[in-house]
Order: sequence, then structure tokens, then C-alpha cells
Amino acid sequence: MAKPIIRIRNLTVGYNFPLLDRINLEIQPGEIVAIVGISGLGKTTLLRTIAGVIPKLSGQIVGDIRARGGIGYIPQRLGLVRHASVYHNVELGARCGVKVRTDSGNLLDWSKRKSVVIRDCVAQVGLSDKIDEPIRRLSGGQQRRVATARTIAQKPQLILADEFLSELDKENADSIISLMKNYVNENQCAMLLVEHHIERAEQIADRIIDLSEFEIKSPAEA
Amino acid sequence: MSSKINKVWLISFGLLITAIVVLNNLVRGDWGDLTGGFANLVKFWNTELWPPRWSLIFEAQSEPPNCRVEIGFFCSKAYTGMLETLKMAFVATIFGFIGAIALSPFAAKNLVPNYILVPTRLFLALTRSLPSIIWAIIFVIVVGIGPLAGVLAMILYTIGYIGKLQYEEIEGINREPLEAARAMGLRHNEIVSKVVIPESGNTFLSQLLFMFEYNVRHGTVLGLVGAGGIGLHIDRAMELGNYNDVMSYLIVIFVVIIMIDFLSLFVRSFVTDEAELGSKSLISVLLPASITQRNKKQ
Repeated sequence: MAKPIIRIRNLTVGYNFPLLDRINLEIQPGEIVAIVGISGLGKTTLLRTIAGVIPKLSGQIVGDIRARGGIGYIPQRLGLVRHASVYHNVELGARCGVKVRTDSGNLLDWSKRKSVVIRDCVAQVGLSDKIDEPIRRLSGGQQRRVATARTIAQKPQLILADEFLSELDKENADSIISLMKNYVNENQCAMLLVEHHIERAEQIADRIIDLSEFEIKSPAEA
Repeated sequence: MSSKINKVWLISFGLLITAIVVLNNLVRGDWGDLTGGFANLVKFWNTELWPPRWSLIFEAQSEPPNCRVEIGFFCSKAYTGMLETLKMAFVATIFGFIGAIALSPFAAKNLVPNYILVPTRLFLALTRSLPSIIWAIIFVIVVGIGPLAGVLAMILYTIGYIGKLQYEEIEGINREPLEAARAMGLRHNEIVSKVVIPESGNTFLSQLLFMFEYNVRHGTVLGLVGAGGIGLHIDRAMELGNYNDVMSYLIVIFVVIIMIDFLSLFVRSFVTDEAELGSKSLISVLLPASITQRNKKQ
């Protein structure tokens, strides 16, 4: 069996108080794992903790994902720079794309190659005609495509996506799901996503985890 | 709803009454100085201020000696003094803005830890705590009378003032682009240049224009302590009791401030969301977007 992309051991997440306790999880290369559970459970907190945005309360996150560009994070509201163009946003991913960078020779080469990579990623999500448009002028679905292109340009080992398929019509959701599945499979990276709709979770994920069992219940609920 | 409005009115009325009581306390109940004050002002206006000495604005003066332009206005004391003030304000705004933009990302609590944030904020507070006129007095002592003292004073004040506005703006930006950038592994300088500045660019531009206007107005005051510009002429005229001359300079300052205000409105109209919806006519600059867009739809 291949070395897992990420191994989580006895992880407790929360803010000043724990929300989810003793989570154990391993994700293999090429695997997509969906997290489901009721609202307010701590799914987003778990993703933010793995992304390194907030500190963990206890436990271990093991994997070579901490290097620059190792994690691609798509937050709930996508985290795009609204006043900047599609190109600029995708460039953020390409800028720290580890694989692309190590391939490049001198600075001039990198800058030329970066432009090709960005345009290719934007074309993959079908937004070539919008490449110079500012994000705020795009529809919700188009913005989700930009976030996808940014992640693809980055070539991370682990993609963390927080309900990024929500608010999408079936056609748009299907095309993004297919793009992401192919991408994860071809690049043998991994994806951990939070998804509300169980049908969509089943459609995209190889494995579904219900986080309810890790919930810390108040004494009254227990 | 109506009880909420009544509460707002009640609080506003309470504040107004408090302000009047505090004012009465400040003047120790002696309002006598205001009596006849308006009559004094009218008298002063008629005898000392009006008419202004138009020749200061429209006729060439002995200064500057090498003025080669044939039109008198461009060699007038008021024009050359105002031009010097504008140059001072421009230079101070640009350097001050660059200083502020270099420092403010180190003062925003969503970008740096406390041990970096606190000293940066202290420095910004220090530069802001002294009014620019006090800085000007200090720099007149350091570098002597002239525009350089004024420029240095305005640069320091601009750094402190704009720096505070900028870090507050940075702290207000959406956390998600910052989190995504951090998770991806972007460095601090990349986050600032690629996320923070594009997200806050429009506000920063507004602040830049506001500060230029502020520095022009303040540049006229700095001259009073010998820091160059049109203020120096005003200071000399006041010392000699030539209030007609002062009036001439004030008219020039007023016209220039109005022009800068229009320029600022015009430039900002290019970067606001509303501006993308249509062309930038003069009327669209002057009127609120809600009115111009309504007219367009009709």
C-alpha cells in the first residue's frame, strides 16, 4: 500500500473549546474523502485546522504537505481576491505550485511557463474568455470554476474544499466533479472535502465519513 | 420601530445638551465675547480684507526672478507660492504613502503576530501624535527655513495618518482570501502584494487622494512656521498687517482645493463598482451613482 498523503492521529479541533475529539484519518494518493455531518459540528474547523489556518488543540497531522504549495485550500466562500482578475487569482496558485517551480529553469523561463500553465488551467475550467475579468463580475458558478483552476495550477498534494459544490446547478457541479476526479486520479494527490448534499458526496468521493461520532456532546446531550 | 427612532432622537438630543453644558463650562459662563462679534467681523471684512489685492494673483512680481512666461499670472506671488505648496504636498503624499504601505501590513493583526504589530503601531502613533505643524517647527530647527522642512514634516505625518487608515482597512478585509493564501504557502510579502493590496486597492487610492488634498491644505499652514509654500507669504503679509494680501492668497487656496476635490472625485469614479456600469461624464462624478444609474435605465 502506498504511503498516505496525510495521516491524522487523535486530532482534537476547536477554538477555545474542543468541537471534535480524537479524529483518526488516513487519505491515500488518488483518494477523495468527503466529510458529512450536521451544521455546526466542526467540519469547517477541521478543514481549517488541517490547512494550518488555526492551531490544533491536540493530536498529530503527519504528512509532507506542509511544504510551500503542498495544500490547496478552497474555503466556503472560495477565498478569491474579488477586485483582481481571473488570471491574477489563478496565478496565486501557480506561484506556489511546487512541481511547476522545480521544473523551471531561470526566472524568464518560469515567467513564460507560468503564463502557459495559468492559461491552460483557466481553459480547463472553460473560462478562457473571462481571463481578464475581475472576479466580482463573475457569477457564483464561474467563481467556483476559478477556485478550481487556482487549485489545479498549484498542483497541491492535498486539496481541502469546504462546500465548494454548493450553490451550483447540476450541470456545473457535474463538470467540476468530473474535472476534480480526473485531476486527483491523474496526479495521485488526495482530496478532503466537506459536503452537505449526501448525493453529491457519493458522486465525487471514494469514501464518506460522518463526523457526528467525533462530536463532543454537552453533558445534557450525553 | 418608532420606539427605536425615539431612542436615537433622545440620545442625539442628550448629546447636544451635554455639548452645550460642556461649552458653557469651558467659557465659564461668560458668553460676552460673542456679543457684537459678527459686527466686528463685518467691519474687519469691509476695512481690511475686501477687496483683495488682485495684483498678487494676476501680475508678475519680482519673485521668482527668472520667470520667463509672458503671462503675469504664472509669475505672480500667489501662483508661485501655491505651486510650491502643491509640489510639497505631492512629494510628501507620495513618500508618505510609500512609507505607510510598507509599514501598515506589519501593523494589521490579521497579518502579523503581536510582537511585530505593537512596535509598528507605536511608531505610527508617534508620528501621528504630533501635529504636522509641530513636526514642521522641529524640522525648521533641523534643516532650516524652507520647503524641505515642510516636506519632511508632512511625510512623517502622512505615514502615521495613512498608516493607521491602511491597517484598519487591511484588518477589515475578508479573512478567506488570506486563509487560502496562507494555506497555499504564500509568503508574507506575497500575501501583501497579491492579496491585500488588490483587495484594498480602491480604498488605498481614495486615501491617497484624500491625503493629497489634506497635505495641500496643511501645506498652507506649515508656511506660517517658515516651512515654505504659500503659507510663508501669508505669514509675511499677516506680520505686516496686509490683510488684503492675505485675502488674495486665501482665494487662490480655496480655488485650488475645489479643483483638487473635483479631480479626486473624477479619479475615484474610475475605480468604484458603479463606474463600471457606464461612462464617466462630469454629471456622473458629481451626482450619486443611484441617481445617474436611474437616469440611464430610463
